[in-house]
Amino acid sequence: MNGMNDDLLLCAGIDKSYNGPQVLSGVDFSLRRGEIHSLVGENGAGKSTLVKILTGVTQRDRGSMVFDGREIPLEHGRTAAQALGIAVIYQELSLIHGMTVAQNIFLTREPLLPGLRLIDRGKMNRMAQELIDRYGFRLRATDVIDGLSIGQRQTVEILKALSGKASLMIMDEPTSSLTAAESAQLFEIIRLLKARGITVLYISHRMEEVYQLSDRVTVLRDGRKVAVLEREQISPAEIIRLMIGRSLTGRESGNRMVRSSGEPVLEVEGLCAEGRLVDITFQVRRGEVLGFGGLVGSGRTELMRTIYGIDPFQAGRIRYLGKPYVPSVARSIAGGYGFVPEERRLQGIMGGLSITGNIGIANLDASSGRFGLVSGGKELDHARQAITLLNVKPADPDIPVGNLSGGNQQKVVVGKWLIRDLKLLIVDEPTVGIDIGAKEEMYQTLRRLADSGVAVIIVSSDLAELTRLSDRILVLRKGRIVREFAEGTVTEEDVLMASSGILQEVPP
Amino acid sequence: MSISAVRRLILTGLLIAIGAALSFASPAFFTVGNLMTLLQEASQTGIVAVGFTLVLITAGIDMSIGAIIAVTAMLCVNFLYYTHLPAYLFIPVALAGGCAIGWFNGFVITRFKLPEFIVTLATRGLLTGLALIIAVKDADGFVKNVFIEDPLFLRFGGAIGPVYFIIPVFFALAAATQFFLKRTRAGTNVYATGANPAAARLSGINTARTLVGVYMFSGFCAALAAVFLSARMMTAMPEFGIGSEMDVIAAVVIGGTPFTGGVGDIWGTVIGTLFLATIKNGILKLGLSPYIQPIAIGGIIVVVVVVDVWYKGFAEAVAARAARQKRLLDGEGA
Repeated sequence: MNGMNDDLLLCAGIDKSYNGPQVLSGVDFSLRRGEIHSLVGENGAGKSTLVKILTGVTQRDRGSMVFDGREIPLEHGRTAAQALGIAVIYQELSLIHGMTVAQNIFLTREPLLPGLRLIDRGKMNRMAQELIDRYGFRLRATDVIDGLSIGQRQTVEILKALSGKASLMIMDEPTSSLTAAESAQLFEIIRLLKARGITVLYISHRMEEVYQLSDRVTVLRDGRKVAVLEREQISPAEIIRLMIGRSLTGRESGNRMVRSSGEPVLEVEGLCAEGRLVDITFQVRRGEVLGFGGLVGSGRTELMRTIYGIDPFQAGRIRYLGKPYVPSVARSIAGGYGFVPEERRLQGIMGGLSITGNIGIANLDASSGRFGLVSGGKELDHARQAITLLNVKPADPDIPVGNLSGGNQQKVVVGKWLIRDLKLLIVDEPTVGIDIGAKEEMYQTLRRLADSGVAVIIVSSDLAELTRLSDRILVLRKGRIVREFAEGTVTEEDVLMASSGILQEVPP
Repeated sequence: MSISAVRRLILTGLLIAIGAALSFASPAFFTVGNLMTLLQEASQTGIVAVGFTLVLITAGIDMSIGAIIAVTAMLCVNFLYYTHLPAYLFIPVALAGGCAIGWFNGFVITRFKLPEFIVTLATRGLLTGLALIIAVKDADGFVKNVFIEDPLFLRFGGAIGPVYFIIPVFFALAAATQFFLKRTRAGTNVYATGANPAAARLSGINTARTLVGVYMFSGFCAALAAVFLSARMMTAMPEFGIGSEMDVIAAVVIGGTPFTGGVGDIWGTVIGTLFLATIKNGILKLGLSPYIQPIAIGGIIVVVVVVDVWYKGFAEAVAARAARQKRLLDGEGA
């Protein structure tokens, strides 16, 4: 390699903090021209912050950035990044529905008829088709976006970036909503881009993808660069070791699983849901915390929604408290389920309502009298009960939940269920966006609930949390349970290996 | 064939069927005179509906269109009564007035990020009162009926042979607007702003400017309709146009432009306008009470919206099922 010219991007000593906590500290990062470079790290390692800095969505505090031989000033903006040729393929696709492929590719840059301000539609379609054919994609320029699959839409996003002469293409978890066949097609496209001299920065949790694709891998942990691996050094196990990075000694190394002997609360057998879940069998007992691990898109959330009764299933049996059970939301609530959804702001709380109002809404049956009239006094009692039980701060039942911190919002969501005769509590990502102190309290609350005889199911992408909290862990992959950790010691590494399909499949 | 094409075909077929049925039921329906009246009425609503369609494509709404008609009509009468200026001078002023009101709507909506419904509803209130205030009064303070005598102005209400002047104007405006929507960058921006404002901004579209432009155009169309209405009536009243929102919204929604934005076009609105005018005209020709017109219009809106939502859900369910099946096959193949 001879010097500067091989590097498309050189970052040195990048620091970034969001009012307080340091998200990136002294990160060095480089991209070579025309390579496929993967950026890996656990949730919160700083990957997305680094990408945001590159694309000008947020500004770095310190450090130098040189792109294509040009120094990038600290005040880097989104438009400037675009002008440099840095393109992002957005996870939530940013296409305009109702428009054709060609219209989306050339949006705001449509070719015009000479001398007129009218769009030359024929030329636009021809240019789009040429671009599509040059890369050999299976698309028609005149197809309307609405009729395309997610994979095809992503292709259109890539074409849009290509037509804008991108030299660096950033893909953030591009395969999370793709089928296996679509993912394979995407890899073809990525290799094609590489062959055309375009640099690809690839971000993924899926080790086998990183392994298959990458020329180099940069590993981030806790906002620091841990290692840069060259092609021949890359192995999934090594990447995971670097990502987790804790020395495997003492009680930090893993958590002992405890087998619970309580009677089963929920038994699921052979559950299948079209395109989402395949042959799921498990049970959860009184007093047990059952953890579900797996990558995003592995079917964890879908499974929770199905056993709660939100989504339908095609085959399989469910028994609840020993009796056959067909879940529906109303029956689940009446039967003693509690459900804390993943998207707290969207599905868990009503921000404008007070703590009393939020807790009351799930307990209207308990606080209403003979004529269906709701007793304000009873609602207030419930709210006070939940506030004391969970130590919600501030302890004011009238305060709108939207004004509380993330941790306290989460407590209110859990609190909705606590004051009932709770038998099964399902918590999807219990501590996302919560500060450390509140996390600890949430763990204690969940533990206490389990000790009092509630069966608790948690879903978490935070491996430390999952291994620490669970008495037993089931790992999902592509809609199947691929591994059970029921006894002995389990480490974060084990779970991640199983999620990535590296650890040999041992069905429970 | 796409969902919207099927829908349009059904609507056109229905329009022809209703027209044929009315021709059989009433000999007074299928005459040149009546058809021209029908087209004239359709054009009166249609001109406003063209502007309103653009607003609806951006996922907005303009409740002030009726009040803009009232105010600009009063503006015309004021000029005639007090200044005696010729029509070719004050008609452009009235049209500019419509644009200015539209600009105000768009500016307040985008600058302060307020809901379109509230802003234009407030404007509607303001303008309704303003129209009454600027109306020409007699000595007792009552609104005075001013007869328009300007010959050029009155030509707007006239006809060339059996064809009312407003009819070709409406169709020309519709054609030009359709062309604008489909063939210019600015037209593309209107769709993008309505379909996905975040993505539109990411692609470099100035969505605020697009919205302001759309509300200005809506105001312009309403003012144009006011000129034709006053010319045909040979006078103007401060209550002109108030309440006509109902017909305009009905025409656009029947035409297939939904409230969710990003979809729809002017051809649909033209068909919707004709559909509505045929129903209204038919009710009169069948000798039914004119009071059932609003009931019929309200009923049609409900039916159209329910069928649209049902059909969209049905089409999506079919597509989702196909996608899931494909996914399952892929999964097994991989």
